[in-house]
Amino acid sequence: MAIFNILVFPGILFLVAAGLWFEFVDRRMYARMQNRQGPPWFQPLADFIKLLAKETIIPEDANPRLFAAMPVLALTATICAFFYIPLWNTTALFSFQGDAIVVMYLLTIPTMTFFLAGWYSTSLYSTLGAVRSLTQLFAYEIPLFMAVLAPAMLANDWSLAGITKFYAAHPLLALLNLPAFCVAMVTLLGKLEKVPFDIPEAETEIVAGAFTEYAGRHLALFRLAIDIEVIVAGSLVAAIFLPFGLTLPWWLGIIIYLLKITLVVALIAIMRTIMARLRIEQMVNFCWKFLAPAALAQLMINLVVKGFLQP
Amino acid sequence: MSKITIPIGPQHPALKEPASFKITLNGEEIYSMDMRLGYNHRGIEKACEQRTYIQSLYLIERICGICSHSHSTAFTQAVEELAGLQVPKRGLYIRTLIAELERIHSHLLWLGVAAHEVGFDTLLMYTWRDRELVMDHLAELGGNRVNYAVNTFGGVRRDLTPDEIAHILKDMDTLEERTKYYAQVATEEATLIARLSKVGVMSKTEAETLGAVGPTARACSVDRDVRRDDPYAAYPDVQFKVCVDDHCDVYGRVLVRVNELFESYSIIRQLLKNLPEGPIAVKAPRRMPAGEVFSRYEAPRGEDCHYIKGNGTDKPDRVKIRAPTLANWRAVRKMIEGNYLADAPIVIAAIDPCFSCTDRAIELVRPHGGEVLTWGALRQFGIEWHRRHGLDFADLNKKFSQRMERVK
Amino acid sequence: MTAEETIQSELVAQFPFLAEKFRVQRARRLWAEVPADKFDAVVHHLFEKMHFIMLCAITGLDEGATFGLVYHLGVPSGMMLSLKVSIPREKPEWKTLIGMFPGGELYEREVADLLGVKFEGLPAGLRYPLPDDWPDNEFPLRKDWQPKHAVAPAAPAGEVKS
Repeated sequence: MAIFNILVFPGILFLVAAGLWFEFVDRRMYARMQNRQGPPWFQPLADFIKLLAKETIIPEDANPRLFAAMPVLALTATICAFFYIPLWNTTALFSFQGDAIVVMYLLTIPTMTFFLAGWYSTSLYSTLGAVRSLTQLFAYEIPLFMAVLAPAMLANDWSLAGITKFYAAHPLLALLNLPAFCVAMVTLLGKLEKVPFDIPEAETEIVAGAFTEYAGRHLALFRLAIDIEVIVAGSLVAAIFLPFGLTLPWWLGIIIYLLKITLVVALIAIMRTIMARLRIEQMVNFCWKFLAPAALAQLMINLVVKGFLQP
Repeated sequence: MSKITIPIGPQHPALKEPASFKITLNGEEIYSMDMRLGYNHRGIEKACEQRTYIQSLYLIERICGICSHSHSTAFTQAVEELAGLQVPKRGLYIRTLIAELERIHSHLLWLGVAAHEVGFDTLLMYTWRDRELVMDHLAELGGNRVNYAVNTFGGVRRDLTPDEIAHILKDMDTLEERTKYYAQVATEEATLIARLSKVGVMSKTEAETLGAVGPTARACSVDRDVRRDDPYAAYPDVQFKVCVDDHCDVYGRVLVRVNELFESYSIIRQLLKNLPEGPIAVKAPRRMPAGEVFSRYEAPRGEDCHYIKGNGTDKPDRVKIRAPTLANWRAVRKMIEGNYLADAPIVIAAIDPCFSCTDRAIELVRPHGGEVLTWGALRQFGIEWHRRHGLDFADLNKKFSQRMERVK
Repeated sequence: MTAEETIQSELVAQFPFLAEKFRVQRARRLWAEVPADKFDAVVHHLFEKMHFIMLCAITGLDEGATFGLVYHLGVPSGMMLSLKVSIPREKPEWKTLIGMFPGGELYEREVADLLGVKFEGLPAGLRYPLPDDWPDNEFPLRKDWQPKHAVAPAAPAGEVKS
């Protein structure tokens, strides 16, 4: 049963399918909002298969092993993170005290792989993209951590399953975390490198940033990892900030879970539609000036409320 | 981080045409820029000397795909002045109408490109959708989307029907409505303003000394517009205001272009309302007298100058073209220094560069052999190259016409 | 007196040798020919005293024994004065004007590349518009220049075989 869970549902196969599906949802919504037709539903899968069939090119100066290992590492890390997140009920596949922090770190790994991939590609555009990835990481990581851990503090539990359980029991308290939800959504745009924070892969400036030198199946794996990262990040946000409908029958739970992911993807698509790309220094300023204080304020609120809850 | 030099171009996603910029960076900040232009040099000035005036006209129309009418009008005006031709009023009005339609399509296109350079693809999709309205009209009036070939010496080649007039007027209302929305987006969307203001700054004095032209100069409060200062075609008969802005940055250049769109709608309405009756062209001689003329035209990108020297035969002795983009390059080098790399594409795009216009002139040279091909040889070479690679267009054309027969 | 005539009389008063060589073509179009040694003085006067602050273009002409350089100068309000100077074909050297008109750098490079006029004082820089491997002493805008090798060459080695 565990093997089935890991490989098929809600494990790898489901993740891949959901990743491709929600890439379609995102692209379609983006297109419709821009008054375009948008791709058909199988387009992400077709892209993936086509990329797999393409020639793999590794730059002469790059370290071939590291170059090839990076996409795999990114994919593995995101999939691992997924197993600790409760989806449509309050239990996760695996769980232990402190897994909230482990998941956050697992989600940092893809960004690190982007950096290393860019750095080891040894091309100028890639290097610039890599440096930008890292600069951006320093800007959004702290607010994101604080935004995710503030609810955990209030729940007095450091496992994601425990946090969801707490908020499922006290749904009103979840509303208290609204500022943190906003902060998390904005920083997720940075993490997923979407407009307005797609600076590391800004097409008109540095071609494709860290991925410039990638082709064929390595690129396909990277893209899949990014698709899956969207699902994992969406699930994380849903588990922590939207703990509703978790006690319903499993089939209803799954539908609600998918709706929550759709909501997150829709929010991302809307932000992508209505904004222009910022500059890296504007992005860093914004994160430290507004997001970090907002996340800190959330921590303060939760500390005070916690004081009242536990006399 | 030490200084690194990053190449942008000759092929780069931010550039729609080839040009090479070597940007030296200090971290993310631009320290200096060097540029290499000329990739699109096609020898048009030389080629014109070997062609008759009327052949040259069609060649000149192909200098640029966006402002084809600008070049052909500037050239036509020069030849008409050389030959002493009086163009009928109706011809001038139609010429001006096409010119303003072209300005609208060019400015909408630029607005989209500028938005794309700062990663705001939604605006790109919207403006390019609306641009299609104008493109349809141009196709309807000239028979082609980009090279309308409306001009001829002594007037224009195609007349307007009342239906077309009504149709254009209707679409101008739609476009004005949409443009109001874009003006609102440009002035209210915070991320867009953050990316555009205080970027690519150039003072009024610098714009004047560096010889900037068109919207680039007007956004630095340089109040110049050939349409008003050196009126031609039907511009003396219409009321319009020259849009000037004092932001001196890319944001100002956006505002100038958006405001010019409104002026163009108004000019088109006036032209169609007062369109005189009568012939659209007079007959032009084949041989043009000897003499020198200098013609100016306000293209969407700025002042376009053509100089023609005639020698009494049917071929010009010398044709010189100064496209607006060429005048703006020196200003770009100034504007880009001290900006962030992220701003390089938008600063370059802000002058609405048109590399084909800039480059023009010789025959093709093979990169290594140093051999020069004439156009006929080049064409033959192209046909044979494709045939060797299994693509025979003569064949394809035959197949295509057969298929069309069957469809009928 | 029209604006054109005002300019004419002012210039001729300052530079009597222009009397024969000044032509008013039509409204806002003036033409003048200047001897090479007086060119600097005339341009300085136009720039500093008469507000001709725009350099619209530089046209290079091949006139057989001489090369003509036409400087199209303008006043922002629309007046255009085309100032022509002739330099000998054997010694095609001329002075740069980028001190006065920095924007004219590319115009001068273009004339230098296409007509082979050397501009003294023009700083070294990337050429424009011909390719970097263009042979020396080939100036396409000269009337005696003809493209060589006017035959389609065979495809270079290393190309994809069909």
